[in-house]
Amino acid sequence: MIGATIKKDVWLLLRDRGRLASLFVLPVVFIVVFGSMFKFGPDRGTPRPIAIWHAPGDARGEAIAHALAETPGFAARPLASPDDVRRAVAADDVGAGLIVGDGPVELVIDLAAPVQVRGPLQGALTGVVMRALAPIKLPPLVEAKSPPGLAKPLDNITGFQVTVPGNAVLFGFFIALTLAMSFASERHTGTWRRLLAAPVPRWKLLFGKLVPYFLIGLFQLAVLFGLGVAVFGMQIAGSVVALIVLTIALVACSMSFGLLVASFGGTEKQIGSIVPIVLLVMGLLGGCMFPRLIMPPVMQKIGLVVPHSWALDGYYTVLVRSGTTVADIAAPVVALCAFAAGFALLGLLRFRFER
Amino acid sequence: MTLRGLGKDYGDRVAVKSLDLDVVRGEILGLLGPNGAGKTTTISMACGVVTPTRGTVTIDGHDVARDPNAAKSKLGLVPQELALYDDLSAMQNLRYFGALYRVRDPARIAWALDVVGLADRAQEPVKKFSGGMKRRLNIAAGLVHQPELLVLDEPTVGVDPQSRNHIFETVRSLKARGMTIVYTSHYMEEVEELCDRVAIMDHGVLIALGTLGELVAKHAGKGVTLELAGDVEAAARAAAAHATVTREGAMVRIEPRDGLAPVIAAIEGAGARIMRIESREANLETAFLALTGRALRDVAA
Repeated sequence: MIGATIKKDVWLLLRDRGRLASLFVLPVVFIVVFGSMFKFGPDRGTPRPIAIWHAPGDARGEAIAHALAETPGFAARPLASPDDVRRAVAADDVGAGLIVGDGPVELVIDLAAPVQVRGPLQGALTGVVMRALAPIKLPPLVEAKSPPGLAKPLDNITGFQVTVPGNAVLFGFFIALTLAMSFASERHTGTWRRLLAAPVPRWKLLFGKLVPYFLIGLFQLAVLFGLGVAVFGMQIAGSVVALIVLTIALVACSMSFGLLVASFGGTEKQIGSIVPIVLLVMGLLGGCMFPRLIMPPVMQKIGLVVPHSWALDGYYTVLVRSGTTVADIAAPVVALCAFAAGFALLGLLRFRFER
Repeated sequence: MTLRGLGKDYGDRVAVKSLDLDVVRGEILGLLGPNGAGKTTTISMACGVVTPTRGTVTIDGHDVARDPNAAKSKLGLVPQELALYDDLSAMQNLRYFGALYRVRDPARIAWALDVVGLADRAQEPVKKFSGGMKRRLNIAAGLVHQPELLVLDEPTVGVDPQSRNHIFETVRSLKARGMTIVYTSHYMEEVEELCDRVAIMDHGVLIALGTLGELVAKHAGKGVTLELAGDVEAAARAAAAHATVTREGAMVRIEPRDGLAPVIAAIEGAGARIMRIESREANLETAFLALTGRALRDVAA
């Protein structure tokens, strides 16, 4: 019976272009768009252009331009006048500008930019200027190192390293919507009555409805991560087994959430209009669209109330940190399992076979 | 199938009070009643779809509550809704519903499609079917495991006359094969045409049970229907002294106790005028009217 239900539900899904799009096409579109917007990690890709002007032959200016050119992540762009520097910053052609005149060095930067963007740039450029103007050649004063227990991250991290799992988690939860809609459809068309009249125990009917969506959810994430690796150059720094374990926990969580949604017994129209909004808000809080790392600390903490943030923490560790094993992602896996158990328990308590 | 003291409450509302009914092997039992009479709730309890608040259902000796799988394997339910997967073909639908009963023999599926006249449309998606074809496939889905008892809940709702006739033929051929059938309907003529016995339900209670002849003889009476003008209410009250009276607007059905003359005199004495006198042959409809005080069409609409 379960085999027949799997076959039937997979067939129905294949005929439903709207649901297929929400599970497979939309996430790919989001991955492409967001992946092109974000850059993360030690190697930030193309160096950021910084405009600079100094009077010809000015020793201070030449020292700063030299130091800027030697700093990884920055590309010095000499301009003809101080006003050219200011205009380039205002036009957003460069990230910031340095004007080296007679007095203090002028850092030209958009003060309206978010502190998360402006702060690091301002700090780094101040450091460049200080190093260049130091009376003696300073040795490196600060060396960044991961603490013991945290594996070294990959070099050459692209935006896709974050946006592939982000959108996989966001749209992975849409299987909950698909599942809840399927229950509502069965009730609406009367096929649920027919199933209840069949000589099949009720627990088996419920289980039979969940299994296909669990498998579809696994397939969806396999496709998205597969595309991530094959098309978008996403790397898996840690163990593939850890990735699989985390993915199974995520799909179980998503499916349990679908059961909880179905237990409210709304119509297809109600579910279709409310649940996507709920899922998008959960995804937003969990950092699926904008990484929690760049959120204010309060929002980072609030994000922990949704399973998405735990899943993403786990994925980030597996995908970015070399040598990550299942043990290293125990906390996210346990959290996802706890969410799954909670959703399933509430769903089972609320679920009514007869309505 | 035996129902004993069967009842269902939804909160304070009693949907079915306490129903005793035996469905005899090989018969077609018609279950008649207006919307809200409790027919679908009764059928749902009988099929194990809804858990009764009280009472028992046994099918071929198996208690639906205690031995649900054995009981349910004996029956096929054809719900009022078109309980089909529109995106699947007729064949895929029947394969799936058959699998629920462990039926995997393609010959069984072919038989069910043949019975309802859809053998040549087996591979077409259901969404391309007409309403009548969907109704027929709906029946086939309840038949695919060849149940001993088939429960048809309003199987002809919204179908064209041709499909309706096809469904009638199907029901008759199934009875000829020895299948027991419970047939619910709003349509009096369907029940008259198909059923061996009729059970009439109203307000969650079984108010009459018997063969068509028994019901008509016992309940249809020998009255006339009068169309009145003027103070109809006063006239109906006055007539009640000499007859059993049921009233629907200006139409008053009279079953005189001592001839029609005193009734007419009482009506005219009350200030009403008789516009038309209608005398109808006693049938299931007049029996239903006498039992419920309402025409089935009026309350079912």
